[in-house]
Amino acid sequence: MNAKKLLNVDRRVIYLLVAIGALIPIIRPIGLPTVPTEPVWKLFNKIEELGPDDAVIISFDYGPSSEPELNPMAQAILRHCFARRVKVLVMALFPLGGVNMAIDQLDGIADEFEGLEYGVDYVNLGYKDGAQAAMKRMDISIQALFPTDVNGDPVDDMPVMTGARNYDDISVVISLATGIIGEYWVNLVNAQFGVPVAVGCTAVSAPKYYAYLRAGQMMSMLGGLKGGSEYEKLLVDKYDFARELYEEPDVKARSAMAGMDVQSIVHMIIIFFIIFGNAMYFLMKKQEKEEKER
Amino acid sequence: MRRTIPLALTFIVGLYPILAFFVPDVRIAHANDWLDEALVIVAAFALPLGTVNVIMTNTSKLKKKARGWQYSIVLLAGLAIMAIYGLIGGTGVDPKFQWMFVNMVSPLQSTMFALLSFYVASAAYRAFRARNVEATILLIAAIIVMMGRIPFGDMITGGRMTPLSEWIMSIPNAAAQRGIIIGAALGAASMSIRIILGIETTYLGSGKD
Repeated sequence: MNAKKLLNVDRRVIYLLVAIGALIPIIRPIGLPTVPTEPVWKLFNKIEELGPDDAVIISFDYGPSSEPELNPMAQAILRHCFARRVKVLVMALFPLGGVNMAIDQLDGIADEFEGLEYGVDYVNLGYKDGAQAAMKRMDISIQALFPTDVNGDPVDDMPVMTGARNYDDISVVISLATGIIGEYWVNLVNAQFGVPVAVGCTAVSAPKYYAYLRAGQMMSMLGGLKGGSEYEKLLVDKYDFARELYEEPDVKARSAMAGMDVQSIVHMIIIFFIIFGNAMYFLMKKQEKEEKER
Repeated sequence: MRRTIPLALTFIVGLYPILAFFVPDVRIAHANDWLDEALVIVAAFALPLGTVNVIMTNTSKLKKKARGWQYSIVLLAGLAIMAIYGLIGGTGVDPKFQWMFVNMVSPLQSTMFALLSFYVASAAYRAFRARNVEATILLIAAIIVMMGRIPFGDMITGGRMTPLSEWIMSIPNAAAQRGIIIGAALGAASMSIRIILGIETTYLGSGKD
């Protein structure tokens, strides 16, 4: 066996294997089990404690590049909040499509719940530039920062805003974040104003948030697709409507639980390549040594 | 004068929030609130500035017929179309703008990001080698964390992989991240002091027109 030749395998072979590995679970879902971890059920339990008199901020701080990881998370959290009839203030502080992600997700999820009324139970406040400055301003008045909603309609008369004047009225801030905006929520809004902050982030940015989580500055973290799938699992186990909903083919196909099948296979392929690559590397070294000795 | 006024402005607006943070006086707090409000407005100016920069860079690329100039046409056309629909119908729930975002921008960006898995697999095979002790530790930690992020890991090890992965992330990783965050914060603080005191002036430009 020529290890050097195997080490220089055509990269298209690797691409093909990854593509097959990603396609198989999409065509034929495996349904691997999900076990929720502590950082995820902390947010779930927090929302479980809330009711119609409470308000939460859900900030869409991500763009389309993080959509596959963060959309399922956003959907599960919105469903949970709406099921508990918690007042939801949606906003976007991420410039590259955050507000569009918010519109897309909020409208679709709100339609699933009967009796929910825009302006009464939830509102989309739209996008505001200058993330840190905007966050600081909301300590004085959310309405002053967002005088109109995403459609340009004044929020003065909206009942949802009367119980959410500033951070004092907010039970928890949930930032679905890519990049640094999630960190701003933690090290500014939690540290200075004491509001509990949970961050749903992409798997690649999860490591940095562990420092905040360990320090107690973040009450919860949902890391990547795994975090989303764990939240979905908690929701499905607790609520009958969610169990039925996540069985619907369209919802199931877009869920994080289904996405975990793909992630599992691709991770296994990558791990296989790392181990195989190292085995070939050491074999090549051995073969080179033997050749020299000859 | 062209340097003195910006330096004086920077000194005042840089120092005032620090003063407001430490001095619990209502008048100082009020002025600081106004400064926060102004900051939101000033930050918004970064967006048109960025747009102008994109237009200038790409039109210059087109004029010079630089390498990849064809992509600049696509970029400028996309910018113009999205801007026109955004300005006419608003970026809120206007169906045309949102339709273009959901059906064009979103799949394109998602596709770009999805390509990463292919490159990561290829790069992992070629570059991730246990060449020395440090690299071996990194490699083992990476495999444990990757296994901990998928249900397979727990299935194979009887539920041991997730706690092990969480331990790596919560203890050694968090410790390293904390060091990075503290280092970056100290760097940012010292840079801020340099800017406020007018020692660091590169943000003013070269001074040449």
